[in-house]
Amino acid sequence: MTAVPLLEIRSLAKSFGGARALRGVDFELRAGEVHALLGENGAGKSTLIKIVTGAHQPDAGVIRVAGREVSGLDPSAARRLGIACIYQQPALFPDLSVAENIGLRLDPGHALRRVGWRKLREQAGDLLRKIGAAIDPESEVRALSMPEQQLVEIAGAVGTGARIVIMDEPTASLTQKEQHLLHAVVRDLRRDGVGIIYISHRLEEIFALADRVTVLRDGESTGTGAIGELTERELIRRMVGREVAQIYPPAERPPGGVVLATRAIGCAAGGVRDVSLEIRAGEILGLAGLVGAGRTELARVIFGLTPADSGAIELDGTPVTLRSPRDAVRHGIAYVPEDRRRHGVVLEMAVAENMTMAVHRKLFPGSWLRSAVEQTLAKNFVRDLAVKCAGPQAPAGSLSGGNQQKVSLARWLATKPRVLILDEPTQGVDIGAKAEIHRIIRRLAGEGLAVLLISSDLPEVLGMSDRIGVMRGGHLAGILPGGSDAHEVMALALGQTAKGAA
Amino acid sequence: MKPADVPARDWKALLLRHEMILLYVLIAEWLFFYFAGTSVNRRGVVIGFGTLDRQFDVLRHSCEIGLLALALTPVIITGGIDLSVGSLLGLCAILFGKLWHDAGLPIPVAAGLTLVIGTLAGGLNAVLVTALRLPPLIVTLGTYSLFRGLAEAITRGAVTYTDFPAGFLFLGQERWLGLPTQAWLFALVALAVWLLVHRTTFGRSYRAIGYSPEGARHAGLPVASRLAGVYLLAGGIAALAGIIYTARLGQAKADAGTGYELFAITAVVLGGTSIFGGTGSVHGTLLGVAAIAVLKNGLACLPVVMELNAAEEIAGLLTGALLLLALTGGVAFRMVPRLRRSRGAPSPTPPSS
Repeated sequence: MTAVPLLEIRSLAKSFGGARALRGVDFELRAGEVHALLGENGAGKSTLIKIVTGAHQPDAGVIRVAGREVSGLDPSAARRLGIACIYQQPALFPDLSVAENIGLRLDPGHALRRVGWRKLREQAGDLLRKIGAAIDPESEVRALSMPEQQLVEIAGAVGTGARIVIMDEPTASLTQKEQHLLHAVVRDLRRDGVGIIYISHRLEEIFALADRVTVLRDGESTGTGAIGELTERELIRRMVGREVAQIYPPAERPPGGVVLATRAIGCAAGGVRDVSLEIRAGEILGLAGLVGAGRTELARVIFGLTPADSGAIELDGTPVTLRSPRDAVRHGIAYVPEDRRRHGVVLEMAVAENMTMAVHRKLFPGSWLRSAVEQTLAKNFVRDLAVKCAGPQAPAGSLSGGNQQKVSLARWLATKPRVLILDEPTQGVDIGAKAEIHRIIRRLAGEGLAVLLISSDLPEVLGMSDRIGVMRGGHLAGILPGGSDAHEVMALALGQTAKGAA
Repeated sequence: MKPADVPARDWKALLLRHEMILLYVLIAEWLFFYFAGTSVNRRGVVIGFGTLDRQFDVLRHSCEIGLLALALTPVIITGGIDLSVGSLLGLCAILFGKLWHDAGLPIPVAAGLTLVIGTLAGGLNAVLVTALRLPPLIVTLGTYSLFRGLAEAITRGAVTYTDFPAGFLFLGQERWLGLPTQAWLFALVALAVWLLVHRTTFGRSYRAIGYSPEGARHAGLPVASRLAGVYLLAGGIAALAGIIYTARLGQAKADAGTGYELFAITAVVLGGTSIFGGTGSVHGTLLGVAAIAVLKNGLACLPVVMELNAAEEIAGLLTGALLLLALTGGVAFRMVPRLRRSRGAPSPTPPSS
């Protein structure tokens, strides 16, 4: 290891309004290491990253890049210093081709100069090959999956000669195979002497990939350690300040009658075909499958966002027509969507306004808003779900991801639904909040809700579900009993026989 | 964090809110014109901006544009726009005149029918925007030409309807309970729209749709019917403005309300409603209308402007400047602390490149 770290941060502090996001963070990144950054939501990871990439200015503290102190860091200065960040949701131009997107990174261009597209296209192709991505440089970014877009971002970062690469939950929406590919890319970068700051909530991934780990808690670093010296238990303890058992709450009672049944439903626009399933009252039906297997699309069909064009949906044995979310809400179906920033909450509106958005009719008879009723409802949910916010009047956008998720969940619990569809409810949520959300889900099922749980987190699906539906290519490949083996689920998801899956 | 900081910040934030700043501007404007635009003529009579008659005139003249601005506020809050309201005002004025004069209907019946027709015309916008999912800017640009064209066609560009009965002209030219009659109607509509936007679930949905149409849809809000509602309402209010216009001038002609939609949009945006949707208020719109009306009428009373005989032109110029100031002012307020911080921050070494 070289004596001078690539990036050195000392006593970094930052406040937003009255809230102290960082209160003295020390961090150090060496060349050729993968340094995992861990912490619960709201621990200050995002703030730290935003300061390093120049999006925020620190209130106090020192940042040194390759031994030289830098100040007044802004995004373009950070880029010049070789700092690149790959976000969970890639920031690419959807209407441009892959090559054009990478080309724009390599050569931001000049107003009066011609762009050498041919050369840029070749370079883009080379970079994609270098990181082992099988993506056609000519394809439009709009047509790529989320993981493919992440690879494009990485190729761009590599191409600009980034020395410090920050990855913010890059595998959150990736399938197992794509994760392996990404890990290989990360290891390649490490071999080339790049320093990688790796943020992830998946501990097994951190143990497989990281060299060192720094844990943040409440805006302070609780120390850095080599991965070999730490146990999973120890990491969790450092993160939450207490030990949290990753035990999934068991079912409290046997499920009741069938609430929701789909009879060979399909939707050409959503790519869903011939799905028949039944969910009983008090039952959690897990829905596993690879990204793009049609799980979210199925949820959108049931919720009326992309109505079914074949088959039938029955509630309590009676066929119902669900042409819009409004129909679905009226029939007691609730959908907590995957993309909470775009669909789950309205970021600019208050927590309270978000929570009551689906119950306008029930809460406000005659359409007149009743502030007191709204505040009471919001305060109760803020308390029951332990939402961390400045108050019911705080805009939802000011909350951390996990707390936005709770607001989204509260909105649907307020409708007192009979069927609750949860789409990746714990994605990007820290371990403490995750266990809490699991308890809430089980409690709701215990109260007689029929729950459809979509998750890419296999241990979560296995641990939470009473039965597990597995989707592949837009249809239901099979339903397995709860407590099934991970291999069986993966085999169905991949379309292999149990023997072939390993 | 010192606890004492918080209330101080709230108090400061309230005083620096867009509507409050606009209120200061309005007061300053009014005071300026009161002192600079009032004089005593040779016979010792006070004339100019400072007279009560003049103030009532300001009010009377701002009712129609004010109504259109009220109609546009919910539309713009949903992230839409309606360019057709000025043309619709003209079309409705003509139809009202025709229904009364040519069809021989009593005034109240003609007025009622005109309101219905205006709402239906708004419905045309609504259908094109919601069912066909066309962008409101293009749809209403089309109906902007269509409505004006219809008005011209009906009158063949020549007919104007006049000789309305005195009972009707009372609405536009007389006073009732001390105020110009139409001001009462305007206040009623303003109150109704304010309640709609700020006190009902309708207004709440408009904001949600303006901020995030997809987010609103995922919450199960009836996005299409809410959007349709604001365009229908805009049509109805434009028709009312057309009737009041006719009553004020005592005649209905095809070019009534030409260019009014731009003044109305200016007033709405000046009042702090974001053209991107979501943020906005009806009281802001009212202040915006007042700021423009006072500016326009006040200028006409300034001796220097009277000499130049260019009140309209100067008013247009200053209104534009005011609008740009309002739009950039918000940005400037956010910029100042940032500039101060970056200047105050110590920078021992410049970032290496």
